[in-house]
Amino acid sequence: MTGADIWIALPLLLLAIGSLLTLMTGALSRNEGAATTVAIVASLGAALWPLLPVPAGMMAVAPVSASLGLAATVLARTFTVFFCLLAIGTLVCSHKYNQHHGLSGEEYPATLLFATFGMVAVATATNLLILFLGLEAMTFAFYILVAYDLKRETSGEAGLKYLLLGAFSSAFLAFGIALLYCVSGTLALDQTMRSTLGSGPVPTVALAGWGCLLIGLAFKLSLVPAHLWTPDIYQGAPAPVVALLSGGSKAAALLLLLLLLPQAGDTGPLRVPLWGLAMSSMLVGSLAGLLQTRVRRMLAYSSIAQMGYVVLALLAGKGGGYQAGAYYGLAYGVISLAAFGAIAVLERGGCGPFLEDYRGRGATHPLAAGVLTLALLALAGIPPTAGFTGKFLIFAAALKAGEMALAMIGILSAAISAYYYLRVVTSLYFARPERTMAAAQGSLAENWVLLAASAAIVLLGLFPSLLLDLLQALQ
Amino acid sequence: MSGLPILTLLVLLPLAGGLCLLSLARRPGIVRMVAVAFALLEALLAGACWLASSSPRPPGAPQGFFLFADVPWIDALGIRYTLGMDGISLLLVLLTALVTVLAMLVSWRSIHERVSLHFALLLVMESGIMGVFLALDLFVFYLFWEVMLIPMFFLIGIWGHGRHIYSAIKFFLYTLFGSLLMLLAIIGLYLLHGAHSGSYSFALTALIGTPLAPTTGLWLYAAFLLAFAIKFPLVPLHTWLPDAHTDAPTAGSVILAGLLLKTGAYGLIRFGYPLFPEAARTLTPVVLTVAGTGILYGSWRAFSQKDMKRLVAYSSVGHMGFVALGIAAWTPVALSGAILQMVSHGLTTSALFALVGVLDERAHTREIGAFGGLWGKMPLFSAFFLLFSMASAGLPGLNNFVGEFLILTGTVQVAPLATVLAFIGVILPLVYTVRLVQKVLFEEEGRPLALADLGRRELAVFGTLAAGALVVGLHPLPLLDMLQVPVALLTGGMP
Repeated sequence: MTGADIWIALPLLLLAIGSLLTLMTGALSRNEGAATTVAIVASLGAALWPLLPVPAGMMAVAPVSASLGLAATVLARTFTVFFCLLAIGTLVCSHKYNQHHGLSGEEYPATLLFATFGMVAVATATNLLILFLGLEAMTFAFYILVAYDLKRETSGEAGLKYLLLGAFSSAFLAFGIALLYCVSGTLALDQTMRSTLGSGPVPTVALAGWGCLLIGLAFKLSLVPAHLWTPDIYQGAPAPVVALLSGGSKAAALLLLLLLLPQAGDTGPLRVPLWGLAMSSMLVGSLAGLLQTRVRRMLAYSSIAQMGYVVLALLAGKGGGYQAGAYYGLAYGVISLAAFGAIAVLERGGCGPFLEDYRGRGATHPLAAGVLTLALLALAGIPPTAGFTGKFLIFAAALKAGEMALAMIGILSAAISAYYYLRVVTSLYFARPERTMAAAQGSLAENWVLLAASAAIVLLGLFPSLLLDLLQALQ
Repeated sequence: MSGLPILTLLVLLPLAGGLCLLSLARRPGIVRMVAVAFALLEALLAGACWLASSSPRPPGAPQGFFLFADVPWIDALGIRYTLGMDGISLLLVLLTALVTVLAMLVSWRSIHERVSLHFALLLVMESGIMGVFLALDLFVFYLFWEVMLIPMFFLIGIWGHGRHIYSAIKFFLYTLFGSLLMLLAIIGLYLLHGAHSGSYSFALTALIGTPLAPTTGLWLYAAFLLAFAIKFPLVPLHTWLPDAHTDAPTAGSVILAGLLLKTGAYGLIRFGYPLFPEAARTLTPVVLTVAGTGILYGSWRAFSQKDMKRLVAYSSVGHMGFVALGIAAWTPVALSGAILQMVSHGLTTSALFALVGVLDERAHTREIGAFGGLWGKMPLFSAFFLLFSMASAGLPGLNNFVGEFLILTGTVQVAPLATVLAFIGVILPLVYTVRLVQKVLFEEEGRPLALADLGRRELAVFGTLAAGALVVGLHPLPLLDMLQVPVALLTGGMP
């Protein structure tokens, strides 16, 4: 292993070693605060990695290490930073939340770090095997995290559902990758794409492989009809875990498609399934969300609709589509962190799962309620937020690619779903609380995370160029 | 003179004020003073723009604009931060600055809860409305167009009465639906222009000349028209308005009637017609029809209302129908009349809503039947009530008359039938206004109410508005001069 190899693998090394150190710190000191601090430092280190100069002898723009199957393209670096920052935010929000819910153990921050390790592996992968391993490492960690709140039945139920369906989807992914390997005879991404989705006719086996891959990813992205696990997991898992699951794991699954599809000669054969996934996700997500009475379930359906927009962006493809999809994936991650971070604070203050439980929280928890409102407005696509700019980019790309019908459906579903976002805002501000409540406020660290996420939502919305320049490679 | 500092300040100062207020959350007394200070400062800025109106055209500005700002913003998409001010914008900016100050004074005592949030929202809304009246880039325009929505949603929802949650959501969803379709149309136009010219831009000046196939133009224009018609509101898209007005707090009603409704008309004048002249011509009969229907329908419904606020709300539908008529005629005289009528309606209807608010604050009811004989009990109030009711009914010498007269004069050659129908609409308001005035001011009251007359603060509000109504009514020439050049440019009458 050369110095350059080590440089490329550095974030992965930091996260993996950090994960082990976290476990050891916890075991030796019996102090979860110390374990969480170690985990935060490790992910901060990984997040700062792109600031190191690219070692001599490597291309500055796209350094590749063939022996490791890793690359540190600008896209990979951007997503690495994003995943690590998201992990830090989640860790900070988890600390008090876990204490309040009686969740203990250094394995929590360690597992969370391991999930991040998986996501970063996806970001830096150059071959299908690493992609698969990264995605599986991440999913495996989430099996544990989702079920971490053992005392609550819903958490255990959510964990089991996620485990069963996750395993099912992983099988599809693995089989899809195997079929693609059959056709191309290589695991390298670029060559696989050339031989399975080139500009010529596509072999049947490759088509079957792509079908399996899409089914597997539809689960991970919670696209209709593979969305059924989503509401239960969003409902049952600890709130900070949902932030990472919703923001990070979906971005990782999206990243897999973003690494593959732009290298295809012609994505025509995938158009019909992607079209169907986008349409059904947007419609089901926005319509079923109307029926929900619990805020987290509602956000789960919202997430289904949001992923529908992302698929619409992928469908639009080159000429802005992939870029818009990546932008939206990142923006959605930040919005998820803000929303579920705020929900974590509110729930710690004694807020139940139902919409009515959020009544009057705008007065008792001004910051958390304000951040949740901003996140909801962003999800509804109201400017000046990243949610608006993302939707704008997606619809612009879709119209440019001639996807008029889907764009209309998208606009309609945005208008419909605005109703349920407003219902939460209505509850927060327009109604009085039914009883006086213990006003446990967010800790200083939590408040900083919420403020940082809010600032990111607004800044990304007003100055998308900052991010779009980094995503130039997808143009 | 370059407009970057002053126009940007005009847009951002209220926003900064709003953020500043939120940090003063615990001191309602100071909050009120600071809020009014910001609003007055903004009014001074708007006045400074008036002084600049005779300055020569700055480099790069379109014809007729005397203040102009243009800097690149999102390069990747060709979005520029472009603001500009011509006579039309100036008039509406002045109106916005004035009405915001009055809305604050009106809610001085009636808001007890979350005072800082209330005044902060008023200021944020002022920012949004200023942005709408100044934006010359469609992306920027859309941004402000949506930003304007949120404060109003909260104003109705938090401080409203009755079915305020229902009304707030109805208001939001109606307008959001319209604007989302407009967003698609904006993107569509942007792409068509880019494909045609090779350079992608959202600038109004660039997009104006885009050649469009007739059907494409029609669809795009229809989306714009829908968004504007909802804000206007034109019958049958008006159903959100009576609910929103009835349940909004007084300041909300004042801003809604005085300013928000004007943004729809302004959008049609600034963007709808210039961007799609052919489609606009094709759909003119439709606009004329709904405008005429609105005039008659609004007056008819106003006649049967028992709640004073609802009555004023329906009369708004009628008056805005006149504005739509003037725009649809698209002749210089009618268009000037329409813009003047926007200002007049802003003054008169704000005043009427504020007057109803005064009664509501004292008697906690807005039923017409609950009041009577106010002329003896509240002489000052009654004088203003009579004045603004007569202005609203279009009495010569007062502001609404000028606008309506110009609209009818300008429309009669283009659409005689619609003008005749609209003329009936001039008479109808007289009927329901006289009934209202007679009942509230002169008839004997059923159950005696102890009501105090206007205080000094209220006197200042209504005195200012009355002065405005009289000036516009008796000496509209300076305002018409202000409009002459931009209107001539819009209607193609001047090189």
